[in-house]
Amino acid sequence: MSKDKPDFDLETTVVKDHSVITGVGRNAVPPRLELVRGPEAPRVLPLCPDETVVGRSHQANICIESSLLSRRHMLIRKSGPEFRLNDLDSANGVFLNGVRVHSAGLFEGDTIQIGDVVLVFREGAG
Amino acid sequence: MSAFVRFWGTRGSIPTPGHGTRRYGGNTSCVEIRFGDTLFICDGGTGLRELGLALLARNSEGIEAHMFFSHMHWDHIQGFPFFVPAYASKNQLHVYEVDKSDTRVQRLLHGQMRSEYFPVTFADLGAEISAAFFDNGAIEVDGVTIRCLEQTHPGKSYAYSFEKEGTKVVYATDSELDLLLSNRDECAEDLSALRRLPPELVRFAADADLLIADAQYTDREYPTRVGWGHARANTVVDFAVQAQVRKCALFHHDPMQVDEAVDEKVAEGRERAARAAGSLTVFGAREGLELKL
Repeated sequence: MSKDKPDFDLETTVVKDHSVITGVGRNAVPPRLELVRGPEAPRVLPLCPDETVVGRSHQANICIESSLLSRRHMLIRKSGPEFRLNDLDSANGVFLNGVRVHSAGLFEGDTIQIGDVVLVFREGAG
Repeated sequence: MSAFVRFWGTRGSIPTPGHGTRRYGGNTSCVEIRFGDTLFICDGGTGLRELGLALLARNSEGIEAHMFFSHMHWDHIQGFPFFVPAYASKNQLHVYEVDKSDTRVQRLLHGQMRSEYFPVTFADLGAEISAAFFDNGAIEVDGVTIRCLEQTHPGKSYAYSFEKEGTKVVYATDSELDLLLSNRDECAEDLSALRRLPPELVRFAADADLLIADAQYTDREYPTRVGWGHARANTVVDFAVQAQVRKCALFHHDPMQVDEAVDEKVAEGRERAARAAGSLTVFGAREGLELKL
């Protein structure tokens, strides 16, 4: 191919944009919690890649300053394609869609209540 | 005493994997109940496979489990040949029969692993698998009192209650409660009327922290499924109200119900519970959900 020609050849190039092959979209939206009720609502809270501790402690990955939260209230852990929440023996519990749970897998739109804070889980895309 | 309950399979009749059932899950009946270190497993549907893998991940030493089968229809036993702990000699499984005169559990667990059906036979399992029996409907294991109660289902099924130090869990699947209503005519005229269940059944579940019950059908679905052995979800709610249980898990979801349909069934049940007042929490059992009671 000459220098004047574009850097791909329509007859031989299969795909120019590698992001299409790998499935990593340019507009990927990461998994996150949406804080819909509670201190500083509304707010978008991105999840950490592996584990996210949510609580009122400033050491928590997601710190929400509410006296009804335990310092380390719940953990959201990514395991393969799944996100799973675990109550870290909090005083006021973790309520998933209105039911107090010890642990559970999370799905798009799940509502999580911890103390007076309401969060919605978003799976993200891309 | 706290108990932990985790759902590994919540579907009835046949496994239903797929996008439409990913939230509530497609594995058939299997529930794990733990009182301290004592492990009880209710039913061996396809959910038992993943429970087995989880047990191996949790415990590199020997696993000891007490297994209770509501009955022996496929959807409640088809996971057993895939229960990996059953293959290791360091593990112990106690498999309970309701009565010494009826050894169907052992017989059918062996039977489904005959070579015509499965490439590994029951005799090839390495774990120590022993039969255990109830004594007049009750037995005690590590301080947990377990009771059984016969239910109305084709070929018979059993409910089990597990109780220790004031914490009580009832597992009552595959039971056509709607055939037992003492006020059937009234309920046929008025779907909102309280569906009155036999006192023996109500007493069995009385004051449970958690009732897990077969709630396969909606009121709209049931008329064409009478005699199939499963209950309406709203009838289960009324059962829970009469028994004054704290939480009620609607279980054994119909294979035709995608997640949104189960959501509607649950929402209807919650409205019904709210009208009955009290503090009953109704929810749809879904795979992976774990409660601490």
